[in-house]
Amino acid sequence: MKLRIALYGALREADPRGYLELDVPPGSTIASLRELLAAHLREHAPQVNAGLVRICAFASSEEILHNHREVPEGLELAVLPPVSGG
Amino acid sequence: METVTDDLHVAVVERAEAALDVAAALDFVSDPRFGGIAVFVGKVRDFNLGRQVTGISYDLFVPLALRTFQAIGERARADVGAPLKLYIAHAKGDLGLGDLAVVVAAGTPHRAEAFRACRLAIEAVKHEAPIWKQEHYVDGDSAWSEGCSLCEPSSEDAHGAHGEHGHAH
Repeated sequence: MKLRIALYGALREADPRGYLELDVPPGSTIASLRELLAAHLREHAPQVNAGLVRICAFASSEEILHNHREVPEGLELAVLPPVSGG
Repeated sequence: METVTDDLHVAVVERAEAALDVAAALDFVSDPRFGGIAVFVGKVRDFNLGRQVTGISYDLFVPLALRTFQAIGERARADVGAPLKLYIAHAKGDLGLGDLAVVVAAGTPHRAEAFRACRLAIEAVKHEAPIWKQEHYVDGDSAWSEGCSLCEPSSEDAHGAHGEHGHAH
């Protein structure tokens, strides 16, 4: 399935649209999505540090989704680099 | 972009539309029951990690930021165990030196609870809310600040309710 992932912080620089679209096999976990995203960035966005994905969180607009969670269908997700508010 | 109940006001304010308003925060947390109000105001400063800063751009994932602020408010309420009104507002967009980045205000019957709730809330905002800071420097360069990872399952335990840990933000 096609999954749209919104980009924030340093990862915005991966795509000027502010999001990426990945093909994700149904039933994938967040852990496997993490690997797919890192590979996508290495190939398509060499200007960003793909290693950052290792310490990013994935989230819906309602909650953080940890590694064991299944990628929800039909929702846009966001990839969240380490945060630095305040 | 804000969510307001009787006791909790959380907001994200686009800098181009308005500045954060400390007086509004004080007004919201004022109550005949409350003899103590603590306020934290975070401002853009001119120097960080040895570099002259000219401004900061804040990026936020707004819906989750508002939910996170609400969850922080509920946690603060449970933690202080006293009547509490809490106000949390964070700026979004391009800020100049001296601009207000964040305002947290807590009103409670006594000062100890107000300080405690205010401290808990600002530390949690810094460590848990989906907010990113890009500093702009006098030489024209910019950099996204290193921050706190939200993906470590242990991060909540590590940051806990009481505050400050090792790194410099």
